[in-house]
This record gives sequence, C-alpha cells and structure tokens, in this order.
Amino acid sequence: MPVVLARIDDRLIHGQVSVGWSRKLQPDRIVLCCDEIAADSWQSRVYATCAPPGTSVSVMDRAATVAAFNDGTSCFGPDERIILLTADPKDMADLRRRGLELSNVNVGGMHYAKGKVEILEYVWLNREDIAGLRYLLSAGTRVTAQAVPGDREIHFDDDYLDTVDGRL
Amino acid sequence: MIHGLVLTHGAVGAELLRVVTMILGPEPSLSAASNAGLSINDLTALVATEVKTASTENSLGTLVFIDDVAGSCATAARLASVAAGPMRIVSGVNLAMLLDFTTWRESLDLDDLARRLVEKGRSAIGVVPLGDEES
Repeated sequence: MPVVLARIDDRLIHGQVSVGWSRKLQPDRIVLCCDEIAADSWQSRVYATCAPPGTSVSVMDRAATVAAFNDGTSCFGPDERIILLTADPKDMADLRRRGLELSNVNVGGMHYAKGKVEILEYVWLNREDIAGLRYLLSAGTRVTAQAVPGDREIHFDDDYLDTVDGRL
Repeated sequence: MIHGLVLTHGAVGAELLRVVTMILGPEPSLSAASNAGLSINDLTALVATEVKTASTENSLGTLVFIDDVAGSCATAARLASVAAGPMRIVSGVNLAMLLDFTTWRESLDLDDLARRLVEKGRSAIGVVPLGDEES
C-alpha cells in the first residue's frame, strides 16, 4: 500500500491534513501512529472524527503500525493510498528503525515548546527532534519541511541540522 | 453568567469580538483565542485553563465557539472537556451567534443556550435577495 505522505505534525489530524493534503493526495486512509492516543479509545475517536469524508482512520501504536505495513496480513487494502502521521521525529525515526520503509518524510508542524528553537514559523526543534531527523537522514530518508501543498519545500540535511543544533 | 471563548484559526475570533464590541460595547466574560503557533497539547491546556478559571469565578459554565468542526480547535476543545469543567462546544461561529449569546447567556443554561445559538447561527446563513428580488 503506497504511503502518499509520511508527515510529522504535532496536531496530527487537523485542517492542513484533512483538507489541504487530503484534497491534493486523495488518501483512502490516515494512519495516526501514537502510542498514547492508541491506548485511549476516547482520544482515538476524537481524532478519527477529524478525517475527511470517505477517508478511513487507523489509530495505532508504533509496533502495530510497523506490523500493519510490513506483515503479509495487513489490515490495509493493497492499493490504499495512506497518509502516515506521527507527532514528532522520534516516533517517525522509530518506525524507520523497526523496518518501515520511508523514502520521504514531511515535517509539517512542530510548534513552540520550552527548550525548542524556531527554524520556520511552523517548525521548532530541540535536540531530541534533531536526533530523530538525523536518524531518518542516515537511513536514506529524504526529509523536507512543508506545511501545506504549494508551500516551498525546505530540505533538511546534516549541515542544516548542525546549524540548528548550534543555536540550542 | 455563562462565559464565552471564541477559539479559531488565525485572528478570526479576535476580529469577531472586536465587531461585537463595536456593536454592543465591551462585554464581560467573553474572550478570543487563536490556534496560531500552538501545539495541540498547548491549545488543549489553553482551553482547559480558560474553562477552569471561568468555573472558579462563579460562571455557569463556558461555551466554546469554534470555526471548524473538525480542526485543531475542535480537537483541543474536545480533549479539554474531559476535566476542565462545565462546557459546551458550538462550531461554525458567526456574528449572529455571538450577538445572541450576549443576550441570552444570563437566562438560559448551557445546553439550551448551545441549542439556541446553533439555530440562530443557521438562520443567519442564506442567499441574500438582491434589490429587486423577493425574499
């Protein structure tokens, strides 16, 4: 099943995903990968109601996400177009570490928190975030920041992350 | 008095309140907040704090107005509702709703007020007849 967008976004399913990217990519399913939310059926339902009409939502922890994509008994349809979401780079890196193939990762929304430095209006990073992004790059994943379709893509590489790290 | 929080994308909420003030003058216990620049956790905490503060100030609860039924404002308001205090969420905020809110928030309870405002908001949406058309 093709992952049409693998996105790091701490708001998970919200307007930019359910309207902006979904209108462009026409996903069949949104996979929200978050251990905490997957363990809470009520939170899972809240996020599931934010999906666009006709798009299924699967809220899964990291282990289940990798299993669903990689084993032969996937609960996803073989031709489903999927948007995969994690809230932070650490989780996306962990999916890659567990064997999920990710050729591209979109950094879509990582908002202000104490100890983070701003690199774009919608992207603030701390050292843990940088470590996750570095892992994805080292695994051969292309990492770019882009909030919505049509925005300019910002390419991340190790030199860029070194510069950001130097500001922390 | 029921407290009002207008929680929207961008500056929509703040501008709506500015217009309410232009029409009615300053209104107590009615505020606006934006999702701009906030993570879902911080946005949820913002709503929870506002609702808790209102409930400790003898408010009869908080009506949270949101612009989009399925965006980050909706998610944050719903997540905050678990422990924050008495509240209801109404989506599709518009000026008619807010003006009616200020009229009825001291005489209706939260549920009745929410229902009334949904009807009021809907009634304000339509194709407005042109000058020579019948309404």
